[in-house]
Amino acid sequence: MSRQGDWNLNPMSETYEPKIVAFLCKWCSSAGSDLAGVSRIQYPANATPITVACSGSVSPQYVLSAFKKGADGVLVSGCHIGDCHYMEGNYHARRKLYLVKELLEFTGVEPERFRMSWVSAAEGAKFAQVVRDFVDDLRPLGSQDKMRNEPT
Amino acid sequence: MIRIEDIRTQARDILETGEVRAVIGWRRGSRGMAAEPVLISQPEEAESLVWDPTCFHNLSLNLVQERKRLARKGMASNKPLALVAKGCDARSVTVLLQENHFRREDVYVLGVSCEGSGVLDERKLARVLDGLTPDSAAYDGDDYVFQTEEGEKRLPAREVMADRCLECRSAYPRLNNAVFGEEKTRGLEAPFAALSRFEQNRGAERWDFWKRQFERCIRCFACRSVCPLCYCEECVVDSIRLEVTPETTADEKANRIRWIERSASRSDNFGYHMTRALHLAGRCIDCAECERVCPVHIPLRLLNNKLEREAREKFGYEPGASVDLPALVSSFRDDDPNEFIR
Repeated sequence: MSRQGDWNLNPMSETYEPKIVAFLCKWCSSAGSDLAGVSRIQYPANATPITVACSGSVSPQYVLSAFKKGADGVLVSGCHIGDCHYMEGNYHARRKLYLVKELLEFTGVEPERFRMSWVSAAEGAKFAQVVRDFVDDLRPLGSQDKMRNEPT
Repeated sequence: MIRIEDIRTQARDILETGEVRAVIGWRRGSRGMAAEPVLISQPEEAESLVWDPTCFHNLSLNLVQERKRLARKGMASNKPLALVAKGCDARSVTVLLQENHFRREDVYVLGVSCEGSGVLDERKLARVLDGLTPDSAAYDGDDYVFQTEEGEKRLPAREVMADRCLECRSAYPRLNNAVFGEEKTRGLEAPFAALSRFEQNRGAERWDFWKRQFERCIRCFACRSVCPLCYCEECVVDSIRLEVTPETTADEKANRIRWIERSASRSDNFGYHMTRALHLAGRCIDCAECERVCPVHIPLRLLNNKLEREAREKFGYEPGASVDLPALVSSFRDDDPNEFIR
């Protein structure tokens, strides 16, 4: 589903597809991505979903680790503010991951590589759009080699 | 103006009355003019205490180490430990108390307001003195005065003062049991001046800079060892405490979680320094000891300062301001930044 003609716009490689690691909260975003699937909404298959209990449980370590293992982009998605299953998990995620975002940007990592979104269980279309936008923004950047493990 | 006699008298008094177990301060060291940390437990030893611009160390590290030592021996402290603390050092004691690392009655803070005179940056000094080794350093108004083999040498503070002291916002130890020096701060440069200068660089230039820094890191972990707030029993980098039983298979040992490898490679150094900075977010009080001890001169203070300023500007959070403050990352406000989220 992913390798369609109009995506091959990257000057660096005809076949380059950005790899996205998506941390989705169990209660909202994961269900939202599921809805996108069962509604048969077409969107790029570049995102590898990892379901977590809550966006608040996403440690900065997860994000750094994903980049270290070669992710081109990392998405963290959770419930809208006020909708957290654990009442305040996404407030914590917002504050904590804001710092991660700022620090990555500070060291010169492209700011487009890390993204957060709030996607509810009813927002399948929004989830598809978030992934589409992310892929579009990552494609011109090419593969991420700043944080990934050096080849041995 | 701080008189060392006052500090000595106070130290002697609290040791004589038995109010404290020991006093941690500085004495004349054996490495040139630099002072060195000392723990004294006898009143007459109070005479050896010194106070000058070479009192670099953040002595609250010793409180943390003492706590670890007692815990290892299964002992409890019956009396508080006193330490001589500059404004910045007192803030790190505040953070340790905030995190319930020990109780307020376990520590006696002999606060010294450096009144903005700050401490020296030995690297700057070495460049300026060009081979000359001074025997002593002292404050004098806006200058530092050094005694060298070529006689007295006078240097403006701005040239040889540590960066963090140039940018100091609060030289007065708010947390204290006794305090010497006046409540004033000089701040020769604006807060976060070095950070703001660095941020003039564009993204690609910033990466070129940090890439070079991370390539140079030798992972000696001096920055971690010297930080009073890096006190975890097991560091996320080490992952050495895997419980190994006769049943543990080689696979399990090999596949234990290792977020960051301990060896020095650019990507792992990047991960290590990001993690270190993030773990200190809202906790680092800018004593800049990490930067001072770095053998390859990585400007770690920039990373710490970046998060400190974000916390201040976006979350209205000032580390070390009060013992009652909740931790930065375990609290939130409704109006935290949200516009970066889709």
